[in-house]
Amino acid sequence: MNMKKFPLRSIPRRKFLEMSMKGGLLVAATPTLLSHLVSCREGTRPAIEMDKDTISRVIRKALERGGEFADVYLENRISRQISMEESIFNSGVYGIRQGAGVRVIAGDKTGYAYTDEINEENLMRAAEVASYVARNSQTITPVDIAPAQRESYITVAKPLEEIADNQRIEIMERANQAALGYDPRIRMASISYYDQVRSRIIANSEGLYLSDELPLLMFIVSTLGEEGNNRHMGRDRLSHHSGFEMFEKTTPEEVATTAARESVDMLVAEDSPAGTMDVVMENGWGGVLVHEAVGHPLEADNIAKGIGAFTGKVGQKVAADCFTMVDDGTIPNERGTINFDDEGTPVKKNVLIENGVLKGYMTDILSAKQLDMKRTGNGRRESYRNIPIPRMTNTFIQKGDDKPEDILASTKNGLYVQSLSGGSVNSVTGMFNFTCREAYIIKNGKKTKPVRGATLIGSCIDVVTNIDAVGDDLAFGPGNCGKGGQTAEVSVGQPTVRIRGINVGGSRA
Amino acid sequence: MNYKELTEKLVDQCLRLGADAAEVYLQSSRSLSIRIRNADIETVQESSPMGIGFRVIVNNRLGFSHCNDFTDRSLTSTIERAIAFAKLTSPDENNVLPGDKGYTEIEGLFDQEIQNVPMDRKINMALELEELALKDERITHSSGSGFGERETETFIANSNGLSQSFKSGSCSISVGVVAQKGDQRSTGSESSSKRFFADLDPLPEIAETASQRAWEMLDPQPVRTQRASVIFDSRVSSRLIGGITGALNGLRVMQGASFLGDSMDKQFASDLITVIDDGTRQRILGSSPFDGEGVPTARRTLVENGVVRNFYYNTYAASRAGIESTGNASRGGYTRIPGIGTHNILVPGGEHTPEQIISQTRRGLLLNSITGSGLSSVTGNFSGGAAGFWIENGRIQHPVRGLTIAGNAEEVLYGIDMLGNDTDMSRSTVVPTFRVREMQIGGV
Repeated sequence: MNMKKFPLRSIPRRKFLEMSMKGGLLVAATPTLLSHLVSCREGTRPAIEMDKDTISRVIRKALERGGEFADVYLENRISRQISMEESIFNSGVYGIRQGAGVRVIAGDKTGYAYTDEINEENLMRAAEVASYVARNSQTITPVDIAPAQRESYITVAKPLEEIADNQRIEIMERANQAALGYDPRIRMASISYYDQVRSRIIANSEGLYLSDELPLLMFIVSTLGEEGNNRHMGRDRLSHHSGFEMFEKTTPEEVATTAARESVDMLVAEDSPAGTMDVVMENGWGGVLVHEAVGHPLEADNIAKGIGAFTGKVGQKVAADCFTMVDDGTIPNERGTINFDDEGTPVKKNVLIENGVLKGYMTDILSAKQLDMKRTGNGRRESYRNIPIPRMTNTFIQKGDDKPEDILASTKNGLYVQSLSGGSVNSVTGMFNFTCREAYIIKNGKKTKPVRGATLIGSCIDVVTNIDAVGDDLAFGPGNCGKGGQTAEVSVGQPTVRIRGINVGGSRA
Repeated sequence: MNYKELTEKLVDQCLRLGADAAEVYLQSSRSLSIRIRNADIETVQESSPMGIGFRVIVNNRLGFSHCNDFTDRSLTSTIERAIAFAKLTSPDENNVLPGDKGYTEIEGLFDQEIQNVPMDRKINMALELEELALKDERITHSSGSGFGERETETFIANSNGLSQSFKSGSCSISVGVVAQKGDQRSTGSESSSKRFFADLDPLPEIAETASQRAWEMLDPQPVRTQRASVIFDSRVSSRLIGGITGALNGLRVMQGASFLGDSMDKQFASDLITVIDDGTRQRILGSSPFDGEGVPTARRTLVENGVVRNFYYNTYAASRAGIESTGNASRGGYTRIPGIGTHNILVPGGEHTPEQIISQTRRGLLLNSITGSGLSSVTGNFSGGAAGFWIENGRIQHPVRGLTIAGNAEEVLYGIDMLGNDTDMSRSTVVPTFRVREMQIGGV
């Protein structure tokens, strides 16, 4: 991938420059790799062939000392982040990150090395370092790489490269005005805009060669409501793998109003009571509860190690009959959607639990091999600086037949959770915890007073066996999922559900 | 490449390309990570990440860009992107860069020895650690052990004539195990992270702690919802102090997003609590000669006997408050604009041993794990998931898990009535065990 060895043809680069100029950008920062990636995508043959030869040499080098699998991952990410606080655009950050990693698998061992500077010499060195774990093991002859085709679930009407920065600024201003105009008790709004285009090339010793480009947008509005001594930070987020048309489907005003409404409504909240309660969870982002409580324990790495909470339970009844859970990386333009995972495996709709019966786990190449299971397209990585591990994409509870209003009306007393901040799970013990951002006391089947500071805690097995009502109103929410020091963009989905007997923490008896 | 010269040269280039003021921040690292599981290597990862960040100011407006491609063409276009962004953001007269105020001399930030230790010895240490942690028969599985090391060179130059650099390093060793009994699983882990290889805790000690943490939590029993004392052991006590230090962030205070915003020189917590931020401790992980924008670090008392004494600031927030930076610019690497953060938090110990605190507690919870948000910097209220041991009449009775604890700012912070003397000064964050007289505990 050395520039000297692979002279760039002027066409793809000029085309890229044109695209950038159209967007009103002053300069087109076109790092080496991106030009290659753009040219690959557009099918400019000479560059691809040269690239593939280099990559083949790197793969052969990686398997020189042994090992049964090797892959090369090249990545370029161009990002823009603009933030606004107190009606001031306080920063704009433009970033280029690129690099490449080489991985070798030998039995249960993985060797990995990466370089920030992409050239053949560095990749060869990375291959040599990665091959350390494969010393004295059996080896294979790599299959010659050939371009593969993958279906795309991401459509772009308004490419991010063609959007002028002042259009981004305008979206943020609209959100700011809507938030501050919602109510005089909104004391501060902070708006965060982020977009990136991540370009990937994946090639491996099984002969795979793939490249693509994933655009991603994330828009967050946080509002601080204040009245007397009471304060509440409200928040709403919008994120898709999409072009700038995302803001036509959901306007910045809608995002701002959702955050502001929460800030104001929660100002009269009382301290949460503590104890065991029935919980009704509103549709949408509440799905993060099953993401943590059930999703993580179903990622196959801990299963392969024999320590995960659901180890050895495939085919067994692990949840209530009404509970079906799916991980689906193919939902058009969702935040967790990727056309293929970071190992090149196509994403799929994977049913994890069907009517209470455990159907399967989410695998990457290594855990699929260890468990002798199929690759499910869940091998993801934060960037070229990390190895792939099993991760979720869009994870949701399948919708049921109950009407949300009936679920609430038939719950005599309990807690109505409108939104959660986030939470975590120990995927070995299955113990999880969540903090509620917005919750209400249910009395005689009705939402009453808001309460603050409620925590939900329990074991994942208990939650899925104690779900007894599933609504017909499936909705999704965007989030960031952290695992093993890596962050992945995901979405979670859930219809309104009721879970009997969750331990709720609060400061009142 | 001489990075010091490069950063200085790039500052000039920023000015030539139209910046009124500019800062160039460069980091170059090398890291190694070894993971072991079931007596064999699981992963070996090696890397040498590097990158460069440009902060430019044009007409009081701020722009930032970063890249990790050091070719002239890339560097130039990245600077131009920062300047283009600076034409879009809002003018703010507090967008200023610090002048050269020198640096704080600190011994022991880099250990040459770490990279001289042969690879095999590092692998063998992790292998031995796992073996030791699996020795107890109650331990059934390994979640893996590991050795990691990292060295980083940081260079900062700005258009006020500041040009600083320092080299730092660290190494760590860790292990995690599982105790399974029937359908019950309990996990335990421990790690040791130090600037010097020779300072790593002894392997048997790390192994025993991890192993004990797993088996001692087997067979938990339920407790009912009630109000009782809560002892925060030194593993979790920093979670509560972290909520306090978060509320002393000078910018959060000015934004009205801190529960301590109006508390300067006022009592807000038990007089047992003193909180010091010290970025100058020798051989300690959070120390550095200067902060994330080149301002010398210092030792400062934030809270003195329950009274707020100081907020902390970076250059931007300090300018806004009309004071000097306190050397608390944090920097999450070259890709980030400077934020505000603390270095090494220290809460000086009290007079009781942890055992005395337990024996003087009639009924309550000895907490060794908190999940969830902890103490909120905005409201001061505490809420979280909890696990630990139940205490009756000064004696530990049995493990408990799946509990919740909560309390409002006043009852929690003034409620701290006993402070331990268990301060491990080899750590970056030093907070001893303490007791809160009474909190709401959610059980069955």
